[in-house]
Parts: sequence; C-alpha cells; structure tokens
Amino acid sequence: MPLDQEIEFTLNGGPRRVAVNPEMSALTMLRETLGLTGTKYGCGEGECGACTVLLDGRPVNACLLFAVDCDGRELVTIEGLASDPVAGRVQQAFVEYGAVQCGFCTPGFVMQAKTLVERHLGADRNAIARGIEGNLCRCTGYRKIIDAIASVASAK
Amino acid sequence: MGKAETESLIGKRIPKMDAPDKASGKTRYIDDVNVPGQLIGRILRSSRVHARIKSIDTAAARALPGVHAVLTAADVPDQRAIGVSKDNLPFKGDVVRSLRDEIAAVAAETEEVAAAALKLIRVEYEDLPLLTDPLEALKPGATLIHPEREPVALKHPEALRPWYDPDNCQTGNIAMSFDYTQGDVARGEAESDAVVEDSFRLHYVTHCCMGVSGVIADFQSNGNLLLYSNTQVPFLHRREFAEVLGIDPGRIRIIQPPIGGGFGSKLDIYPFEPIAVFLARAARRPVKLIFTREEEFIASPTRQPVLIRLRSGVKKDGTLTFRSVTTLHDNGAYTSWGATTPFVMMQTFSSLYRVPHCDYHTVAVYTNNPYAGSFRGYGNLQATFAVEQHMDRLAEAIGMAPLALRLANAQNPGEVTPQGMHFKTCGLKECLSTVAERSGFEAKFRANRDNQRMPGTLKRGIGMASMLHVGGGAKIYPSDGCGTILKLDDFAHVTLITGASEIGQGSETVLSQLVCEELGLPMSSITVVNNDTDITPWDVGVHASRTTFIAGNSAIGAAKKAREKIFAAAAKKFDLPAEAFALRGGLLVRADTGETLIDLAKFLRSMHFSEKAELVMTSFYYEPPSHHQDKEFKGDVSAAYAWATQACEIELDTTSGMVKLLKVTGAHDVGRVLNRLGIEGQIEGGIVMGQGYALTEDLMVKDGRIRNPGFRDYKLVTAPEIPEMDISFIETMDGEGPQGAKGVGEAPAICMAAAVANAIANATGVRITELPFTPENVYRALAAARAQAGQRAA
Amino acid sequence: MPQSKAGRVAFEPLLLGLRRIPELHGVARDGDSLRIGALVTMTELMESALVRAHCPILVEAADQFASDQVRNVATIGGNVCNASPAGDTLVPLLALDAEVELVAKPNGLLTGRRVPIGEFFKGPGKTLRARHEIVAALRVPIGVPGRFMRFFKLGSRPALDISAISIGVCARRDAGVLSEVRVAFGAVAPVPLRGRATEAALEGRQLTEAVIETAAAAARDEVHPIDDFRASAWYRREMVHNMLKKVLADAT
Repeated sequence: MPLDQEIEFTLNGGPRRVAVNPEMSALTMLRETLGLTGTKYGCGEGECGACTVLLDGRPVNACLLFAVDCDGRELVTIEGLASDPVAGRVQQAFVEYGAVQCGFCTPGFVMQAKTLVERHLGADRNAIARGIEGNLCRCTGYRKIIDAIASVASAK
Repeated sequence: MGKAETESLIGKRIPKMDAPDKASGKTRYIDDVNVPGQLIGRILRSSRVHARIKSIDTAAARALPGVHAVLTAADVPDQRAIGVSKDNLPFKGDVVRSLRDEIAAVAAETEEVAAAALKLIRVEYEDLPLLTDPLEALKPGATLIHPEREPVALKHPEALRPWYDPDNCQTGNIAMSFDYTQGDVARGEAESDAVVEDSFRLHYVTHCCMGVSGVIADFQSNGNLLLYSNTQVPFLHRREFAEVLGIDPGRIRIIQPPIGGGFGSKLDIYPFEPIAVFLARAARRPVKLIFTREEEFIASPTRQPVLIRLRSGVKKDGTLTFRSVTTLHDNGAYTSWGATTPFVMMQTFSSLYRVPHCDYHTVAVYTNNPYAGSFRGYGNLQATFAVEQHMDRLAEAIGMAPLALRLANAQNPGEVTPQGMHFKTCGLKECLSTVAERSGFEAKFRANRDNQRMPGTLKRGIGMASMLHVGGGAKIYPSDGCGTILKLDDFAHVTLITGASEIGQGSETVLSQLVCEELGLPMSSITVVNNDTDITPWDVGVHASRTTFIAGNSAIGAAKKAREKIFAAAAKKFDLPAEAFALRGGLLVRADTGETLIDLAKFLRSMHFSEKAELVMTSFYYEPPSHHQDKEFKGDVSAAYAWATQACEIELDTTSGMVKLLKVTGAHDVGRVLNRLGIEGQIEGGIVMGQGYALTEDLMVKDGRIRNPGFRDYKLVTAPEIPEMDISFIETMDGEGPQGAKGVGEAPAICMAAAVANAIANATGVRITELPFTPENVYRALAAARAQAGQRAA
Repeated sequence: MPQSKAGRVAFEPLLLGLRRIPELHGVARDGDSLRIGALVTMTELMESALVRAHCPILVEAADQFASDQVRNVATIGGNVCNASPAGDTLVPLLALDAEVELVAKPNGLLTGRRVPIGEFFKGPGKTLRARHEIVAALRVPIGVPGRFMRFFKLGSRPALDISAISIGVCARRDAGVLSEVRVAFGAVAPVPLRGRATEAALEGRQLTEAVIETAAAAARDEVHPIDDFRASAWYRREMVHNMLKKVLADAT
C-alpha cells in the first residue's frame, strides 16, 4: 500500500508531517510509523480502550481513527504526558494504589483518567466507573483503578 | 549514623516495582519489540470445521513481492506433534479438525503483504461429518477425530452410565480418562437420610489477556534460536521446542518480554509458536507473529467446558455420607491441559469437606470444537460450582442452615483426607464464620427466602461457597523446584536473579520484599532479573499459585546464605558470635541491643575488597518431602493448601432476568499476608473474573464456530458492574510457607459462580445448574419454573 | 471503520473526509425544528443545551452509547447511515418524528431532500440514501414543552453494549392522558420499528394498569424479532412487553 497521503498535525506538543496510506489507523501510524508503542493494540474495534489517545483534548480510540483524519488536529499519546502534571499525579496514584498488574491496559486507563480528573468529577465513584467503562482490564477487577482516580480527583 | 529502621516489610502495602514503567507506557510487551530485519508472520487457518484437505495451492502467494516464505505441512516434513497428548501437528496437512486449524503460514515484509498473501492461498476441502457434541462422539459409528490414535481403555465403563452405555458406545474418540475411588459409595448411600442428584453444565469462556498472543523467532548466526515468547513456563517450553525442532535444548534461549496477562493461557505450547520458528528457519530472517484479537478468540485455549453429574448424601445430623461424580469433558479437537483438569476437580470432590465415601469417573471426548487449556482455577471453578450448590441442596433436604452444614463438615488443621491430602494449616472454619458474620449471612438468607413469594419484581439473594486449592506449589512434574541467584554489590545493592516469571501478578515485588526482609534493606536497594533462560536458574513456571510459595522460599534461602556470610565475617571483625548480629535498616547491628555496628554498605565493601567473600549466593527450593500421589491419585499434591469462603449478594430483576452483583464478602486463608496491596489486587481481580464466568462471559460455540470472537459480544465485566468487596485475610502461618504465606493466585475466582448460583436460589427459589447466568438464561429458567409450578397446581 | 476492518464493507479507492464541511456540524434551531448536523457527536449531543431542552430522549440514548472514547467520535449521522436495527439513536429519532436531510451535488449544483426517518431505513445496513448523497443533518420537530420522553435500552451494562432490545416513547401528557403518542422499538425487526398498534392502545387514554398491560401486549404482538446469538426472538418479545410496562409506569 503506497504511503500517498501527507498529513500535518501536532503530536505531543510538536508539529509533525507524516506520509500515511488512507486505510491506516492512527494506532498503526503511532505504533509502526512513528514508533510510539505506549499506545496499545487490544482489540482494533474500539471495545477495550487500550489505544486511548487525546484528539483535540478528548479521549478517543486510536484504532477507530483514520490516520488521515489527524490532519490539522492535535494528538497526545501516553509518551506526551511525561511532563503533564495531572497525568503525573494519575500515574503516581496508579502505582501507589496498586492499579497496575500486567499493565497492558494501563496507558489507556491513564489517558482516560487524566481527562476524567480534568472534568472535575470529584470522587464520585459511580461517575468514575462510568468514565472508564470503555477501558477493559482483566487483572485488577477495577476497584484499585477507581481508587487511584478518585484519590487524584478528590485532591484537586 | 541514623537510627536503625526496624519496621518489617511483611504485610505492608508495597507498590509493584514494574508499575511506574507500565503506567508511563515505557514497558515493551512482545508486540512492542522489533528485531532488526524481522518479517511479519501470519497463519492461514481452516475455514472448515472438519474436512479433508484435498489440495493447497500456494503458488500465487509465493509469487507476491515482499513474501519471503510460504509454508504448509508439506514444506515441514520434520514437524512433530505438540501438546499434552502429542496429538497436534503445528501444520495440518491431511485433515482439519477444528476451525482454528493451521494450514499454511507466510512471512512477509509487512503486515499488509502477509495478509494479502494469505488471501492468495487456495485450499480445497472435502467436508467430513461434524462432531460437536461429545455425547454424539461416543456413539457407535461416530467418525473418529483422531483415527491414528490408540483408543483409551476404560477401567470402569459402568461408572460412566449417564453418558456412556458400555453396550452401545465406542471408545474411539475418548482422549483421556480418570478414575478415583475412596471408601464404598454404596455403603455411604445406604447410611444417608437424604440424597440429591443434579446435572451441571459449564460453558466455554476464554482468558482474554489484554495483550494478544505473540512470538518472535530469531535464529542467531551460530544457529542458536532466540525466542521472544509470552510463555508462563520458559524452561519446560525450551525442552518442548527442542523436541519439536529436533535440536539441543541448550541452543534455545527464551526471553519473556513483560506479558500482557497469563491466567494459565500460556502453559502449553501452541501451533503458532513452532510455526513462527519454521518461518524464520525457511526465510532466514527473524519472524514476528502476533495475533489479532479475533484470532486470539478463535485460536487460543478456553476454560474446560464440562458436564457434571453429582450425587451426594447426608445424614439427618448433617454428616456428609458420600459423593459420587461423573464428568464429561468436551476435549475439542486436540489435547491441551484442559483434559487434565479432573486431577484438580477430584481434590474438591474428595476433600473440600470431610466425605468418607467418594468416587469420581470421567472421560474427555474428542470433538471438532475448540480445545481447552489451563485457566486460573484449573477445573476447580467447575467442581466447586457443583459441590457447593449441593451443600445448599443437602442443607435444604435435612432442614439445616447452609452455614451450619458447612461448618459441620469442614476440614480441620492437621487432617489427612482419604485422598491423602495433608492439611498442615487449614482456616476453612474461620473463613466460613468470618464471612457469615461480616456479611450478616444468616439473617439475610432467611429474610430473602421469606421474601421469595412476596410481591415485587426485584429480589435479593445471598449465597455462599467455599473452596480448597493448592497453595504450596503443585506436584505436577517430578520436581516443583525453583532456583535463585543473589548477588550483593559493594554498595549494598542486591540483584535477585530468579527462575520465577513475572506476568503481572507481582512476583518481582513480593520476592524482593522477602529478600529485603532477610537482609534488613529497603525495597529501593534491590533489582530483579527474571524472564531469560540464559541467565535465570531453572524453574517449572508460573502456574498452580506456586510462585510466592516456591520461588519465595528459594529467594529466602539465598538471602539467608548471604546473611550467614555477612555474620561470619562480622563475627571475625567484631569478635562476637555469629548469632549476635542482625541486619536492620541497611545497618549491621547487635541483635540484643540494636546498637549500630557498621553501615552494611561499608561492611560489604570491606568484604568484597579484603575478604574474598564471594558475595554471590545460589539456592534452590524443592517442595518438601511428602507422600506423593500414587496411580490411584492417593497422596499429597501440594506442600500447603489455600482455603476461602465467599458470599455473594445479588439483586435479581424477575422481569428481565438481570442479576446484579451487589457485594462480595470474602475470607481467604492465605497463610500470611506478605504484600497487602498485591494480595488485594489478586483477590479483587479474581473476584471480578469469577463474576464474569458466572454472569457475563460466554464464548458461544455453534457447529464448531465461535459466534462472538470480539469484546463487543464476549462481555468482560466493565468498571460500572463490579460489586462492593469486603475481603478478610485469615492468617494461619503455614510452617513451610515463606514467612508463613501460601499461594493465592487462583483462589478468588473459584467460588464466585457457585455463590451466585446459591444466591439466585435464595432470591427466587429456583436453582439453575447451567452457566452463564445471563439475563435471558435466568429469565428462561424462572419462566420454566413458573410453568412447572403451574402444571403442579393444575 | 469497524465495518471495514471486519471486511463487511469493501473499501473503495476514494475516501472522502467530511470533517471540514461546516454545515454538517452543530445544533441549531431552525423555525419549529432542531437541525442536528450529521457530524454532531454523541458527546456534543449530550452537551448541547438545545438538545437537552427539546429532546432529552436523545441525551439518554447518547449517554448509553458505547463508551466515552466512542461517544467523542461517533456521530449521529454515522449512526443513522449505519442503519443497524439496534442503533442507539435511531429509536429516539423515530419517536421524535425526525427527518433525514440528504444533500447531493450531482452536476455542481447542490440539491437536497428530506425523508421522514420512518421511511429511511430499508434493512440492516440499508437506507434510502443514494450513492451520491450524504446525510447532512437530522431535523427534529420541537414539540410542546413538558412532553414525556424515555429511552430504555436492555443490556447487561450501563453502556458499551449492543442492546437486546430498546424502547423509545414520546407523548404529550395532560392530566394523566397521553396523546400524540410515539413508540419505537430497536433490535426487534430488520429496521428500527414504530409501534403503531402500541401507540393506538395508548392514544387518548389514562395510563391505568389495564391500559399499560394492553399496550405492552400489543407491543409484544407487533414486533417481529429474530433469534440470534445476542437474544432469542422469544426473549426479545418478552422484554418488549415487560420493559414497555416499566417505561409506561414511569409516565403515570
């Protein structure tokens, strides 16, 4: 498949030009073209949330997003959160509250959790649980993930 | 010099050491690993469920630019069968027996080219009769799925009566058979005041590890094979690979990148793994082969589906008299670990409660269905589902409370069961009473029962179940060993090189904790090296809830050796007996007064520079000697046993059949809590996995085809559905366990379905013996019960 | 995208990005109806003050639509064009008497037409939309204020679930009497279905227990679901009956 579409977008705060093919998902572009492997392939159909990224500030599944549709937009991946203060607190809480086991789903949860915290949900556990209903985890049983997010959300 | 920190690490909430990298996306799972020059491998799977392969035409695929290898069975004449019964050739050349069957594979420059090449391969089939019901597979004249195999000889065909009529059945499709007897069931039945009998049907579910399966095969210039693999059993796997490939195991190195979930799914070798190696060999390039999620659903193992017929008896005073069990396992097309789950199931039948007379007969029957592997709990979810529903049924039959009947028959510490299992520690009674008290079980149970016939469409129910599982390793192999290498640097930093595999369960952290506890060091002063067979000492893998117990004892052994060495050197330097010292807070201190003698880092430096101290310790832990199981399955299978009780509270909507899990109250005999954060994580995760098994997950197999190979219709529990959880730990301090701990990894998933079943019966008066309890299944059962009651009334 | 991944929709060489067409975005009042741009996402529906005020039933449906990540990209136009019998927004749109606004530019000239949503769906994945047309907007008449509206989706999860059945009800409610009743059902026929017999059983009536039972029975009789692996036809009929009773009980 020829890489015949040039797109330009902001990736993790910096401008980026990439040649992609029209069928390519943003997930494939991130992982294979750009080598950003923190965004995970879990299902490829928007059911698991392991590939959650921020598109113009909103969390979306990168597997359901055409790479070409990133043109002119702003994309943030887990790698782009290294110096984000809210994400830093979320990551620290995930570690301290035991919200990480195999960790495969964790980057997606962190992306989603960061936006939940920024939406000022407070420590309402039901609202947090609804907020992460699109992220599957097979290891933890979710309770510690909700604990971690609630701790950051209520500390705000 | 600061004051010595004396606080113990045991029982604390210690964050996982690998969590920061995982939370920041830095951890590289197998799909994130790329080897220079690698090709992408893909497998062509059968589009038929049972068929003869007439021809395979790969010419067009081979001609596609970017394709480096196309293989079929004909191209790999040296391939050998894999699996528990060696009945599974990686490439199927003559007959396909299930939809997942591997027919061809390609290695190509890119994913797109590999996918395009697969589409160019033409396979001609000639359909064979479908066998998707194990009962049909036992009938005379049924097609043989593996005509090449010797039929299994049945020792007690009469005992299989409910499914197998010895005069009118054939054994040609029987894959495996187990028989177990203790005492005299007929005598037990004669002594019974009440006898109940039910059939239970358990469905297909699958592991759904969030990271899909994958492997990278990379031959080195010297011909050695480097495998990046998700296996849970690297050392056993290496041997298997050597056998399959016909090469010296010493020439195979397995590196396990961090694994995106195991749960037992990676205990066996599956065809994609040798196929990737064959592709790499043919293409002379490294080959990376990663499943799609759909492929993961179709071509990875399942939990063992099973039919259970259970007959149990009790005396009026609540004494259990006998238990007679037959199970029928749908083996699927090939034999993986699922076929051997009776080995674990029989422990629950014979020994969860005191039962004087018990027999158990079972067969696994080949069909054209998917095949089952090992899966957290290993048959015990199924066995417990039946046994614990019968405890409620028996209690009802003699008018006794379910809790009282369980307490009356619960095992005690020190007992040796008729099967020969020796319970050196046993907290079952504490588990039962703790759960009963904390959940308010008895009052709720009575109130719910009284409410069954009251108006209202929302019904509450509470049900309990207990479980017994191995907690001190499992004597599956002739040895249950694990090795440790511990090195101490001159600045008091420790490197723990362990045979154990981290698969997310937190073994790195708990092993580090045990070592640091012995050496009086903080967690920050240890690094763990694991997951590379060229570096780490031998181990039989991560399974059977064994790692904390076995690898933990092994790590403690090495740490103790280090301590002895340090104390011997200290004895010389300070002119005191070796017993006079202790290690605390990074310091060498006097054990009696706590007086600081020297900074440990400084002392180790002096040992390195002037004592020729050889500060590398090795140790191995093998399971303690015990009465090993004999051919009749009598004997001990583990150095320690884990116990648990869980009560589930539900709300059931009779207008939809929807069951909402409100609360789980659990008590677990874990020996001792080592890492509170880690053990809570294991238990909470296990509870929710058990919830999925009971309520939402259903791998729908029809005519050999999986109808819901994706997360849209295979419903894992999501965050809003989880119950409130109240978990208590019963610390029985096992004498053999590391710091008194027992294994706990599998336990929390085991009771859930049984407890939910009992809760549904408590809420509605209707007992459902088939899983899963999806809204439609529950609604249907309630409607059938209403219809039956109507008939009786009329 | 999921459809193309599953191989159900073959890719054509041309992929057209509609994102930059402003007329496809936004919710606006246009006379006595709301014009909801085809590219309005589920999240935008939930956040729109106009939608919340005039068609809260769409907000209910959007809230139960897949997950937050999907709601941020899934559009109402996409949901309508996908024409799944279980599509979450289709049932409320039917109950709201919505119209589909289609546009085309066959010879450089922009042409448009409006189709009542009840006529738009022709079968699973099939609609009246011609190859050269795009759905530009959904138009929802603004009815009298204070109508009863309810969307009910039967699934085992709060969202992230394909419904076994869904029900949408819109009606005026004056002194306990229902009028201008619209009832729609999802996942009970090849297309989302208006429940005419059910509506007739309710129109102009006080919601007594007997009336509710009659309507629920009519609903059970007029749906024609199939057996599939998500639910049996029998269960779907039962649920249409039982859940409609639940919804109507809320209207009393």
